[in-house]
Amino acid sequence: MVLDMHSSAPASENTKYQKEYCEQHAACLKKIQAVLDGEASEEEKAHFRDNIDHCMHCIKMYHLEKCVKETLQAKVDKRICPDNLVATIKAKLNLIF
Amino acid sequence: MSVIMSEEIEEIPLAASETSYNDIERNDIFNREFMPHINSMYNFAFRLTMDEDDANDLVQDTYLKAFRFISSFERGTNAKAWLFRILKNSFINDYRKRSKEPSKVDYQEVETTYNSEEAAEVDHTTDLRVETVQDMIGDEVATALNSLPVDFRTVIILCDIEGFTYEEMAKILDIPIGTVRSRLHRARNLLKDKLRAYASSMGYDTNED
Repeated sequence: MVLDMHSSAPASENTKYQKEYCEQHAACLKKIQAVLDGEASEEEKAHFRDNIDHCMHCIKMYHLEKCVKETLQAKVDKRICPDNLVATIKAKLNLIF
Repeated sequence: MSVIMSEEIEEIPLAASETSYNDIERNDIFNREFMPHINSMYNFAFRLTMDEDDANDLVQDTYLKAFRFISSFERGTNAKAWLFRILKNSFINDYRKRSKEPSKVDYQEVETTYNSEEAAEVDHTTDLRVETVQDMIGDEVATALNSLPVDFRTVIILCDIEGFTYEEMAKILDIPIGTVRSRLHRARNLLKDKLRAYASSMGYDTNED
């Protein structure tokens, strides 16, 4: 495999990709998303491995999907539950915490 | 008419068998298995309602229901998914009706998008750059996320922010795994459309070389 999955660019400048455009891009995109989600079947993983070596279009889709997913995880603010809400729930349940 | 989230639904997940816990066990489950997820629950509630007061009410209602129906929870199983399902169902039954997002518009938009195969086939790769997304700040991405219809927003939150598996999402949303996959796929395409439109309006370079 020629692609460094942790890089945002193809691994080698000398790599000759056989395809610039993927006619199956919608189907490939679903497989790429399943791979990134850790949910791909063996067939999807094999398809991904085969394509990612020679399809520039799939490589671009992979990096964009990965970037959007990582951006959602890292940059979208995670709201913290207010302390008074925790206190209210405890009081209403009258639990021993 | 789509039946997605359109009817009053059972809020508490059914258990194979109910367990009779004593007071000490109930408190222990609540403290050790339910409370550790309260920040994730609040974040989910806020992203659904997009209102702090509604999020407060929704989380409070969910935890009170969880305690009331604790016998339906099997100790040691996936408490986070169980709680998220109650919260999501409470949102549909109690909050969505008075949400600032009119639900009928949501259903129509969801249905239109689901039924449009062309929409799913649009290539989103060539006009949104990785560098453009990387340059965006969190609020810009959150605004794009918040602008999605709630059903699409929900799957992205569950998968990409909360890290649930497809199987867990299927249980939380009460839909087949295949529907999880297709809804997620379309939600992400919609999100990329929003990001690209926003980037374009802000003068980001969205074109590939």
